[in-house]
Amino acid sequence: MDFRPLNDTERRQLINALRGNAESDRAILMDRRDTSFLGTADEVTDEEVISAIKSVPCHY
Amino acid sequence: MLLTDGVGRTLFEEFASHRSEARGEEETGWVLLGLREAREVVVLATLPAGTLRDASVAHVRFNSNAQVLASRIVRQTDRRLTVVGVVHTHPGSLRHPSDGDLRGDGQWVANRRGKEGVFGIGTADGVATPGDLFAYQPRSHMQCMKGLRFSWYSLRQGDSAYRPIPVELTIGPDLARCLHGMWSTLEFHAERIERLYRQQSPLRFEVMSDEWGPGLLLILPLAETGDSLRVLIRPKEVRYYLLRSGELLEVHHHDEWVDRGVYLLLAELAARA
Repeated sequence: MDFRPLNDTERRQLINALRGNAESDRAILMDRRDTSFLGTADEVTDEEVISAIKSVPCHY
Repeated sequence: MLLTDGVGRTLFEEFASHRSEARGEEETGWVLLGLREAREVVVLATLPAGTLRDASVAHVRFNSNAQVLASRIVRQTDRRLTVVGVVHTHPGSLRHPSDGDLRGDGQWVANRRGKEGVFGIGTADGVATPGDLFAYQPRSHMQCMKGLRFSWYSLRQGDSAYRPIPVELTIGPDLARCLHGMWSTLEFHAERIERLYRQQSPLRFEVMSDEWGPGLLLILPLAETGDSLRVLIRPKEVRYYLLRSGELLEVHHHDEWVDRGVYLLLAELAARA
């Protein structure tokens, strides 16, 4: 069993997820193998964001 | 659509600043990051077109390298942040996206979550108000201040035209504004930092500012708990530090190519282990 402390980013993400769950019923995702925090259902992957940025068309 | 007051300030201030520069006649713009809520979009960050943009009086293509890096930095605080739209300016008084915009944006929104985006057009035809102390909205989808105007539209996949979209302001930050002061530095280092990030997933970013100006700090955890390699990037220098057993050591290692500098330093540490 690993009791590694969360780093700042992980702690912020977990707090945001708990707040979203308490205030807006947003789901919190859990790793089925070890019950660790996997983020929320509303999270967007880096790949999706980067794809959107890189494909912004030329504007006229 | 909700804009934070921070985002609103950024757009008006940077549009005004852009117009006073040597390239002020060119079009410019910003990618918008925000949250897609059930009933509305909340815009929370602006990513500028960049000094390496390809632009003229009739077009603008953003430099996406620094925007990608900035998105990684901003999204450290909230992974729900996503690209919600694009703003660009017109040097004349055309307050509506062009036919060319419609073709490109139509394809772009088709590949986005929700199949919809928000689009802003900046023009310099706003009516100046006495004293110009605050922005006003002559129509629900427009904001004007100091002779500048932003007009807002929505476009869904398959739409044959943009729809004006009412804009409201709420109190909140522009989460990327702290990066704008060092944007050209981000552009210079973006490709190498991106490569390093893809190879070293624990890499984290901190934005700092002190009497020496703004800086971006890269933090790469090392094997020992609490130890890390730190790279401070400023407009005119790149400095390397080692945090070991709670003690911060400056490394005399001046390599301006960040990824190469990190790997040479890691190799040196491995050789001494």
